[in-house]
Amino acid sequence: MTNGKDHVIRLSEVWTTYEGADLPVIRDVSLQIKPGEFVVIGGPNGAGKTTLLETIAGLLPVVNGTVHVCGLDVVKDGCCARKKIGYVIQNFDFHPYTPFTVEEVVLMGRFGKIGWLKRHTSRDLEKVASAISQLGLTSMQKNQIGKLSGGQQQKVLIAQNLAKEPEILLLDEPFSNLDMITREEVCNLLCKVADAGIPVLIVSHAFDALPDRDIRVVVMQHGEITLNQMSHPSKVEELVRSASVAA
Amino acid sequence: MLEFIFPNNVMCHAVEAMLFASLGCALLSVLITQMNISSIGFTMSHAAFAGGSVGAFFGYAVLPSAVLVSILTAFLMGPLSDRTRMHTDTTLGVLFGTTMAVAIFFIALMQGTGKGFDASSLLYGNVISLYREEIYALVIISLLIVIFLSVFYKEITAIVFHKRLAEIAGIRVKPVYYGILFLISVMVALSIPIVGGLLLYVWLVTPAAIAYQFCNTMRNMFIMAPAVAVIMSIFGALIGVQYSLPVGPLTAVLFSGMFVIAVAVSPKRKVVIHKH
Repeated sequence: MTNGKDHVIRLSEVWTTYEGADLPVIRDVSLQIKPGEFVVIGGPNGAGKTTLLETIAGLLPVVNGTVHVCGLDVVKDGCCARKKIGYVIQNFDFHPYTPFTVEEVVLMGRFGKIGWLKRHTSRDLEKVASAISQLGLTSMQKNQIGKLSGGQQQKVLIAQNLAKEPEILLLDEPFSNLDMITREEVCNLLCKVADAGIPVLIVSHAFDALPDRDIRVVVMQHGEITLNQMSHPSKVEELVRSASVAA
Repeated sequence: MLEFIFPNNVMCHAVEAMLFASLGCALLSVLITQMNISSIGFTMSHAAFAGGSVGAFFGYAVLPSAVLVSILTAFLMGPLSDRTRMHTDTTLGVLFGTTMAVAIFFIALMQGTGKGFDASSLLYGNVISLYREEIYALVIISLLIVIFLSVFYKEITAIVFHKRLAEIAGIRVKPVYYGILFLISVMVALSIPIVGGLLLYVWLVTPAAIAYQFCNTMRNMFIMAPAVAVIMSIFGALIGVQYSLPVGPLTAVLFSGMFVIAVAVSPKRKVVIHKH
């Protein structure tokens, strides 16, 4: 048994709901994640995977239990916790003429860290340039985000969260708009992030480009965790499938 | 303030009022158009209308009552849209209906009791009969808007881009968002006596719509929209006062004409065909 202090994410008997929902969406979920873990969250549609990420990010009301991220209680101190959390959302739709460039959008990821009444520094711009470069977006950094393809926009949002220098990284369907080669590149990048000690949690239905390293597989069904174990990447799809069928 | 340029007192007041009202409104128009809350213009105008009619019914001055109710509505707007879990534009629609109903109700009551209520100043405005204090109030609110935008520029741009992503970035979205709504409301309430509630909508949308035809970044929109608005509003005031034409409607028509031209020559309509 661990005392939980070495876990950067600690969920204890968490129940989460949306306003107006008939039943809690997340039910009695406990989960502990250590630094550097690579976590794949699977399960059928409507199982509560996105809700789990939103709960960790402190974006939903927790009706019971506790959620701690990097030692902070996200229910009481969600805003401070989110400065340490990178979260790439699933659904986004930017108007073609949205008046923001790729560079500006990536910089926005650091705004919370920069804080009130302060302007960005050269260090902030360095982090932005580095994240843009890592995602291969340098040639389009002055382009308007709305004019990029869905996959390129997805990469911009990943760059935004890398530029933030998060202490944990959550990604909701990060591969959904990406081609096979880009998917592998992004996955390798996320692997490096995890190697640097930052836990990476991915909600995904695509298991064909997972990195060659130990992966924690979490399967959700009806708002509950039905499987939570370490696995080799080649076994992830089979585990998710069998756990979903069994549940 | 501008007497050294315009010795004619009427002309000077008109130009000053149009300058500061158009500056504040045009800056806010960038936020209004990008946040898709353009109905805030007529909602706040009708809140002022309701305030004026309630004030008149109970024997208070029309304009202060109009300003007061607009500010109260502003305080309600943000929390109400959060509480009801509706898009801000839907909440604005509900408030529009409510304030309109209140205004008509009290006007009908006054007609029944033989009290008179002249709503024309609130509906059409009158730029040449403003008090100096009203112009000072416009200067103050315009300065407040410039300061607010400068101080919270990064938070505002993040919220305008995507409220959810701004929240995830660790920005406290609500105070800034409510601040934006509040400033819009106060600006509307103070601008109503100048161009009137019916034409205010032009100032709150068209400058940004014109700038949008040429600008690809928010920063450029924040520069171009007020520049266009100030130039056209002062031009409207000068022509209107000089030739005894209604200043508000004249300026509104000028804005609309400029918008048509901007759309026609906008580089955003350009289609590039490369055969090789």
